[in-house]
Amino acid sequence: MPLGPFGLDPAIWAVLRLLLAIVLAIAVVFNGALAQIYLERKVQAIIQDRVGPIHTGPWGLLQTFADAIKLLGKEDIRARLTDHWFFLAAPAIVFSPMLASFVVIPFAPGVVGADLNIGLLYLTTLGSMTVLGIVIAGWASNNKYSLIGGLRSAGQLISYEVPQILSLVTVVLVVGSLSLTQIVDSQPGVFINLLLLPLAFTTYFIAALAETNRNPFDLPEAESELVAGFLTEYSGMRWGLFFVAEYGEVTVVSSIVATLWFGGWHGPWTDIHPLLGPALGVLWFTLKTYFFVLVFMWIRATLPRFRIDQLMSLCWKFLIPVTLTNLLVTATLLLAFPTEKLPVAIANWILLVFFAAAVPYLQRRRLAAIRQRLATSRLALATADRPR
Amino acid sequence: MSYDFIETILFALLTLGIVGGALGVVFLNRITGSALLMAFTFLCNAGMFVLLGAETIAAFQVLIYVGAITVLVLYGVMFTPQQDRPYGLFFQKQTPWAALFVAPIGLFVALFAFSFRDGSHASAKGGDLVPLATSVFRDYAFPFEVASVLLLAAMIGAIVLVKRDDE
Amino acid sequence: MNIPVGAFIAVSSILFFIGVAGVLMRRNAVVILMCVELMLNAANLALVAFSRRAGSPDERGSVFVVFIFVIAAAEVAVGLAIVLSSYRNRPTVDVDEVQAMKG
Repeated sequence: MPLGPFGLDPAIWAVLRLLLAIVLAIAVVFNGALAQIYLERKVQAIIQDRVGPIHTGPWGLLQTFADAIKLLGKEDIRARLTDHWFFLAAPAIVFSPMLASFVVIPFAPGVVGADLNIGLLYLTTLGSMTVLGIVIAGWASNNKYSLIGGLRSAGQLISYEVPQILSLVTVVLVVGSLSLTQIVDSQPGVFINLLLLPLAFTTYFIAALAETNRNPFDLPEAESELVAGFLTEYSGMRWGLFFVAEYGEVTVVSSIVATLWFGGWHGPWTDIHPLLGPALGVLWFTLKTYFFVLVFMWIRATLPRFRIDQLMSLCWKFLIPVTLTNLLVTATLLLAFPTEKLPVAIANWILLVFFAAAVPYLQRRRLAAIRQRLATSRLALATADRPR
Repeated sequence: MSYDFIETILFALLTLGIVGGALGVVFLNRITGSALLMAFTFLCNAGMFVLLGAETIAAFQVLIYVGAITVLVLYGVMFTPQQDRPYGLFFQKQTPWAALFVAPIGLFVALFAFSFRDGSHASAKGGDLVPLATSVFRDYAFPFEVASVLLLAAMIGAIVLVKRDDE
Repeated sequence: MNIPVGAFIAVSSILFFIGVAGVLMRRNAVVILMCVELMLNAANLALVAFSRRAGSPDERGSVFVVFIFVIAAAEVAVGLAIVLSSYRNRPTVDVDEVQAMKG
């Protein structure tokens, strides 16, 4: 009979491994959420020239724990006209795909739940399931703000899935594999994919901001127009579950960025020791992931929110054409030079510079068009108001 | 000791999910419930694909059916009235006769289904990503392009159909 | 691989007939669309089962599942568009009452 690790029966080891993975993923998600809420408060406070939480514990470290305990102790309120089962199911539908995403993320050499050969496809699949939960939450709340939030979210997430997947496909084309482990293995040392595919990184990052409902794309829960969007009727730990899912989603997206473009767990000294090396790998991976989490927070503190039509036109009129061009150019160059990666890199940088330079020009043209329209409408108003 | 029974248990659970979910879609009077159970049936079907070793198809199934089609259907549900008329009309005096006629057909279908045997080429364990990609982009490249044109036509058609004229 | 391919085909046929029953019984156009999706799914299951277990080693059958995905997406988009535009003209999605084109 073949033996698994630690002299265990392989079948028992498989069950143990599954349990271990689930417990670890839940621990990572919840602790990550606690840490990220604290970080978010502190980062926003620093950027806005405040001090942030300071009273609970040293440097206010225990503030999020206090908030979590408060959430757990809250009464579970449900309005009478909500759609009972859907109202209960929606947080779970949002939460569980996010939790399942951690299965394929490679934290270090050998530290991965399951090295699927369709890992990236699996991640996008789970990302698309979140939409369902949000739409159902908006619907079940039986509240117009919730419904508008849910519908906005459905439109936004489905639209932004397109540029997101197209950017991922570019990386997959260059690396030649959907397995996240192989993508990490393909970029040892300093030659990370960012140097090769900066445009794909930029478009993916913008689309990922929209996919996770973060600023400047947080229209589904825009508090100044929709109260709290699809979250309006939720309170207590159900609301907390949505919140944890959002932070978990941010973590997943950041780790995808770290894996695909920044070499994953690669870093100095990862091969010095069979046990210490993977530990260092986990450390590098976590540092890279949290760097992007911090960038998310920085963006939230810096940029104002989009309007819904601006959001849609950004996706359909700018991001999708850009990603399609990028995909076409990359695929053509890979066919022309199957072994060389330099042409792809050069083309990608040129495209990035070109599109970045085009943005101010497009912006100026749009503003001119708006001014023109305003002028004509004012003229029309003036002629209409003239006394007869 | 063999652990083959796990596969059988999974198959039984997924079958229950598929049949139960589909029956729910047909018999629930609340249409939102129907839509959600439809998503559940799709998920169970994806589980069947994984059981068959076709994990790429399973991923596409979840991506397209659960992530896109169910959301689209939910949109449709939200914009239209939610209550269906009772369907008592269909359970009337003919039911025994209908059952009498349907039973042999059902029996025939069941016999027919179980007459299939596993072929000699029962697929290797290696997953279906590479064979699927090879067939789609090499042998069936032209139908694939035609399918994308069809999708484009459907998209334009849908936009034209629901666009209001008053702009 | 101890489950015979026939079991999958049986599940597929059950799912298909449930879908047919739904299309025949329900009057709400949206639910009818859902039941059509169920039938397409049954076809998917049968195709994958045959392609994985009984087909040629290069898995031609799975390709048709990809095409069915395309058809399903196109069908549900156009179908819902028709339902919504019909609902805008007459406030009903009951297929028995939409009979403006009856001769």
